[in-house]
Amino acid sequence: MRIPVKKSTSLLGVAALAASLSLTACGGDSGGSDNGNTVTIWSSIDQPVQDGLLKALEAKVGSDIKIDWKKVENINQLIMTKIQAGDTPDIAFIPQPGVVKDMVSLDAIKPLDDVVPQADQDSMIPGTLDAGTVDGKLYGLLVSANVKGLIFYPKKAWEAKGWPTEVASIDELNQLTETIKADGETPWCMGIESDTATGWPATDWFETLVAKYGGVDEYNSWVAGDTKFDSDIVKQAAAEFEQLMFTDGNVLGGREAIASTNFGTAGNPMFDAKPGCWMYNQGSFITGFFPDEIKSDLDANVGVMGFPPATAGGDNPVIGGGDMATLLNDSDNAKKVMAALAATDIGNDAAGSSSFISPHSDFDPANYADETSRSYAKVASESTGFLFDGSDQMPGEVGAGTFWKDMTAWISGQEDLDTALKNIDASWPS
Amino acid sequence: MLGKALTALVTVLIGIGGALAVYYLLNKIAELMPERWEARIKPYLYILPAFLAITLYLIYPAVLTVINSFKDRFSREWVGTENYTELLSSPAFRDTLFNTLLWILIVPAVTVVLGLVVATLADRLQPTGEKLAKTIIFLPMAISMVGAATIWRFVYYAAPAGQEQIGLQNALLGVFGKDPVAWLQQSQFHLNSLLLMVVLLWSQIGFSMVLLSAAVKGVPVDTLEAARIDGASERQIFFRVVVPQIKGTIITVFITVTIGVMKIFDIVYVMTNGNFNTNVLGNEFFNQFATNFNSGAAAAIVVMLMVAVVPIMWYQVRHFKAEEANA
Repeated sequence: MRIPVKKSTSLLGVAALAASLSLTACGGDSGGSDNGNTVTIWSSIDQPVQDGLLKALEAKVGSDIKIDWKKVENINQLIMTKIQAGDTPDIAFIPQPGVVKDMVSLDAIKPLDDVVPQADQDSMIPGTLDAGTVDGKLYGLLVSANVKGLIFYPKKAWEAKGWPTEVASIDELNQLTETIKADGETPWCMGIESDTATGWPATDWFETLVAKYGGVDEYNSWVAGDTKFDSDIVKQAAAEFEQLMFTDGNVLGGREAIASTNFGTAGNPMFDAKPGCWMYNQGSFITGFFPDEIKSDLDANVGVMGFPPATAGGDNPVIGGGDMATLLNDSDNAKKVMAALAATDIGNDAAGSSSFISPHSDFDPANYADETSRSYAKVASESTGFLFDGSDQMPGEVGAGTFWKDMTAWISGQEDLDTALKNIDASWPS
Repeated sequence: MLGKALTALVTVLIGIGGALAVYYLLNKIAELMPERWEARIKPYLYILPAFLAITLYLIYPAVLTVINSFKDRFSREWVGTENYTELLSSPAFRDTLFNTLLWILIVPAVTVVLGLVVATLADRLQPTGEKLAKTIIFLPMAISMVGAATIWRFVYYAAPAGQEQIGLQNALLGVFGKDPVAWLQQSQFHLNSLLLMVVLLWSQIGFSMVLLSAAVKGVPVDTLEAARIDGASERQIFFRVVVPQIKGTIITVFITVTIGVMKIFDIVYVMTNGNFNTNVLGNEFFNQFATNFNSGAAAAIVVMLMVAVVPIMWYQVRHFKAEEANA
C-alpha cells in the first residue's frame, strides 16, 4: 500500500472520478410535485378501476386542476417509507385501516370531516366510514369497495345438478356440502397461497365466520384486540372452517393442497368440463382471476350467493374491503379533488368497466356492467352492516403477520389450532 | 427526456468538477506545508473524502441502527431492551434463529466440499470436457437470487391431486403414479429448509468451484510428483498435499459463503416467506421492517446479525493478514 507521492496527479483524476460518481448517485429526481394546480394521487388499485375513477374525476374537477394519478406497487409499504422521507403525494389510496392509523400517529394526514360534504358521508353504506375513522375523526374515505364472503359456483353445471342457489343458514351450507359429496363430487375449491402474502384467504374465511356467528359488536371487539383469538367465538369459527375444509373429500386436493394452491387459480377447476370442485368462497375481485372464456360472459357462467348468516333470517353482516382515500396535503385543490372523490357518482364510469363496487347506498345499480356485479352490490347493501376486512384493521404484526402465518401453519399441519391462536394473541403489540 | 438527459449531464459535470476542485484544494493545502510534512500529510488528505463517505454511509447508519434497536416502533421513545427480550421470548423467533443456524452449518460446508469435488474432478477431464462441465456448473451464478428462487418454485410446485402437475418433481412422481407432494410444506426434519438450501447451493457452487479450481491448478506439480515417487496413493496426495496447499482459498470461500448465508433473504422470501417453519433472520428483518413497520424490532435483528458477523470478520481479517505476511 505504499504509493509514491509523485504519481499523485494521475491518482487525483481517479479519485475525483470515484467521488463524483458517488455524488451523482444522490442526484436522482424526486417525485411529489407541488407545482401549482397539479394534484398527485398514488394508489395500488387495479388499473381498470383507476382508469374509470380518473375519467369521472377529471370530468368533475374540470381543466383547472390537473390530476397526476400514479399506480404504485404496494402502497401500504411505500407510503410509510415516503412519509419518513418527506416525499408524499397529495392524496393516497390506502387499503389497510391499520396503515391509516399509523399515518395519523405520524401526523401525516388531515381529517376529512369538513372536506367531504355531509350528504356524501350520509349516503355511505352503514359501517363503511368506521374503518377510516381514528379517534372520532374521519381520515380515510372508502372510495372503491369490494365484498368478501361470496360463494361462487359454475352456473351451467350447477343448474344441471339442480342444487339450491340460495342457502339461508350455515347449517344449510353444511347440508349442501354433504349433498354435493353424496353425489360423488368434491364440494369446495380452496387455496390460500399468495406469494409473500400466503394465508390471507384463510383470514377472510375467519372474518366472515366470526362476523356471522358473533355479529357486528363481537366482530369489532375481536378486531380491536379486546376479544382474544383464543376465545369461544374464534374457536366456533375455526370449528366450522375445520368441518368444511378438513373433512376428507370436502376440498379438491385435500387439506395439504390448501396451502400450496394459489388463491387466484384455486377456483378454476370449477369451470373444467367435469368440475373438479363446485364452490369457492372469495371476494368480488376473484372473477378477474377466472379463465378468459368464463370472464367474457360472467352472467352466463358464474353464479354467486352470499355466505349465509348463522341462523336463517338472523343478523347478517358482510365483510368487505377497499381503498380509502387519505389527504396528505390540505391545499384547496387537493380538498376539491377529495370532495369529488367522495361523491356517489364518481363511480359511474368505473362501475361499467371494472370490478369497482360503490360504497354509497344511493349508487344506481344500472351503472354496473353485469348482473354478477349487481349481485355483489346487493349482498353489500342488503347486509345488516358492512364490516371492513379485519386483518387489514389489525396491527401489521397480526393482520399481515401472524394471522396469515399461523393460519397457514395450522392448515398445513405444522401447528395445532390452540398453538396457532395463542401465537397470534402473543404477537399482538402491547 | 432531453431535459432529464441534460440534468444528468450537468449533474455529472458538477460532480466531477466539484470532486476535482476538492482534491485540487486538498493538494494545495498539502503543498503549503513544509516539504517534509507535505509528503507525510498528503495521503491522509487524499483519503479524507473516502473516509467521510464511509462514515456517512456506513458507520453513521450502523450506529443509528444500534440506537434504534432500543427505541419503539417509530424510533421515538426509549424502550430499553424490550425489542430484544420480546423477540427472544417468542417461539417463532427462536425457530427462526435455529433455521438460520442450520443454513450457516450446512450451506458453506457443502458449497466448499462440492466446489472442491467438482474442481478436482474437472481438473482430470480433457480441456473441452473441463470447460463444458465448469460452464454448466457456473451458469446459475449469472441468475439473480429472485430469479433462481422463482425457477425452483416451479420445480417444487404442487397442484391438487388430479389436476395437471406443472412442477418438475411432482410431474416425475406422477409418471410413477404417485400422489403429488407439497414439497415446501414438508417441515419434518426441516426437509423444506433443506430444499431451499439446494437453491442457494445450486447458484453458489459455481463461485466456489472457480476459486478452488484456480487454487488446485496452482498447486506446484513437483510436490505432486514427489508424493507419487514416495508411493503416496491418490487419496493421500489429495488430502495431504493438495488440500494443505489450497487451505487459504478454502477458508476464503468458506467465510464469503458464510457471510452471504447469514444475510440470506431473497430465496426464503420468494419461495415461502418464512411459512412452514422455514423463516430466517434476513426474512424476519424484512417483515418486521416492511410489514409490521416496527423499526425497533427490525433494528434489533440487524444488531444481532452484526454481532454474529463480527467474529467471522475478525477471523477473516486476521487470516488475510497472515496470508499477506506469508506471501
